[in-house]
Amino acid sequence: MRSFRAAMRRLLHAVLLGLVGAGIVHIVVLLLVPEFSERDAWSRLSMASDLYRMNRLDAEAGGAPVVKSVDPLFYATACRFDLEEGMVRIKAPGNVPFWSVSVYDRSGHNVYSFNDHTATGGVLDAVVLTPAQMIDVRKDLPEELQGAIFVEAPIDEGIFVIRSFVPDDSWKPIVSRFLDQSSCELQDF
Amino acid sequence: MLKNAFLMLLSLAIAIGGGGASVWYALKIQDGVGAIRIGQWTAFPDIGTPAADPYSKARVAREGVLALGRAEGLSFVAENDAAGAQLKRECTYTIAGGFPTARFWTLYAADQSLGVVETGKPRLAALQSYEVLRQADNSVIISVGHHPMPGNWLLTDGSGRMYFVLTFYDTPIASSTGLSDVSLPRVVKVGCDA
Repeated sequence: MRSFRAAMRRLLHAVLLGLVGAGIVHIVVLLLVPEFSERDAWSRLSMASDLYRMNRLDAEAGGAPVVKSVDPLFYATACRFDLEEGMVRIKAPGNVPFWSVSVYDRSGHNVYSFNDHTATGGVLDAVVLTPAQMIDVRKDLPEELQGAIFVEAPIDEGIFVIRSFVPDDSWKPIVSRFLDQSSCELQDF
Repeated sequence: MLKNAFLMLLSLAIAIGGGGASVWYALKIQDGVGAIRIGQWTAFPDIGTPAADPYSKARVAREGVLALGRAEGLSFVAENDAAGAQLKRECTYTIAGGFPTARFWTLYAADQSLGVVETGKPRLAALQSYEVLRQADNSVIISVGHHPMPGNWLLTDGSGRMYFVLTFYDTPIASSTGLSDVSLPRVVKVGCDA
């Protein structure tokens, strides 16, 4: 009897120890998921295209959508950039009913966002740079960058996403053209 | 000696299995940490921001989400109707009520992965605020179902679980102060196909 009780107590001890361990493993796994995920937006985009290359996110352009959870009434395009190589300039010509822009860091966190009401005349012309590059640019602002929106982001690698609203089928070609003609390039300075 | 080894293995199995499974479960359920509930609608205003909790961060990394920014919009997801029952694709629903201030909103019927429901027809399972008919008091009544209906009709198809995703674009409610007294439309079940 006594030996049975002792055995049960040791079993209980082992189970409790296991539960405490489960708590620790829970926290560790939770914090490691973002570090080691191979399925985050950056990894998916890097499989689809190079740095500074606009890449459509919606299924309309053919193939499965690269990054999910895009509104079915929206088209979207994205490019990856690395601010260590220099600042990046994003432009898109044309007028569409609504566009909005987000800058994400390497792990997919939204660092900055704005929409067409922010831009001069609704024209999408933005420059993403680090605070250090901003100081350099401020000293002598080039003529061609006067109208651009400056996004100061304390990141190195990042993702730039343009989303645009497609109210109905007749807008599809216009919005498609708007996104396909958008450019994402290293800006010399 | 053998018993000790067995107990140790048991502890390890509970720790690793339990820890892993609990993370997996916590990331799978819709209703998580940081959720804001208004009626049947759930939103994660902090998801995808650096201020998000670890669960949201892990979900973002695992699913490859690029969440909408504050200046873009805010998404609400409904998984139950007003009576608390799960939404089904074979059922008919009415979504009625006022919508908060926004430049425009979109509503679509979604499957488990929050992608739009395939209807098999040119008509999308989605509506937006520029195309809906409004009542005299500016509220909107939307009928959801597989059979054509008068007024605003959101087409769905198939069977199984369904979610409604309601997204407001360029809206003041996306800032944290605006969320306190927002009212969203009610989702009421009308009937189901046998």
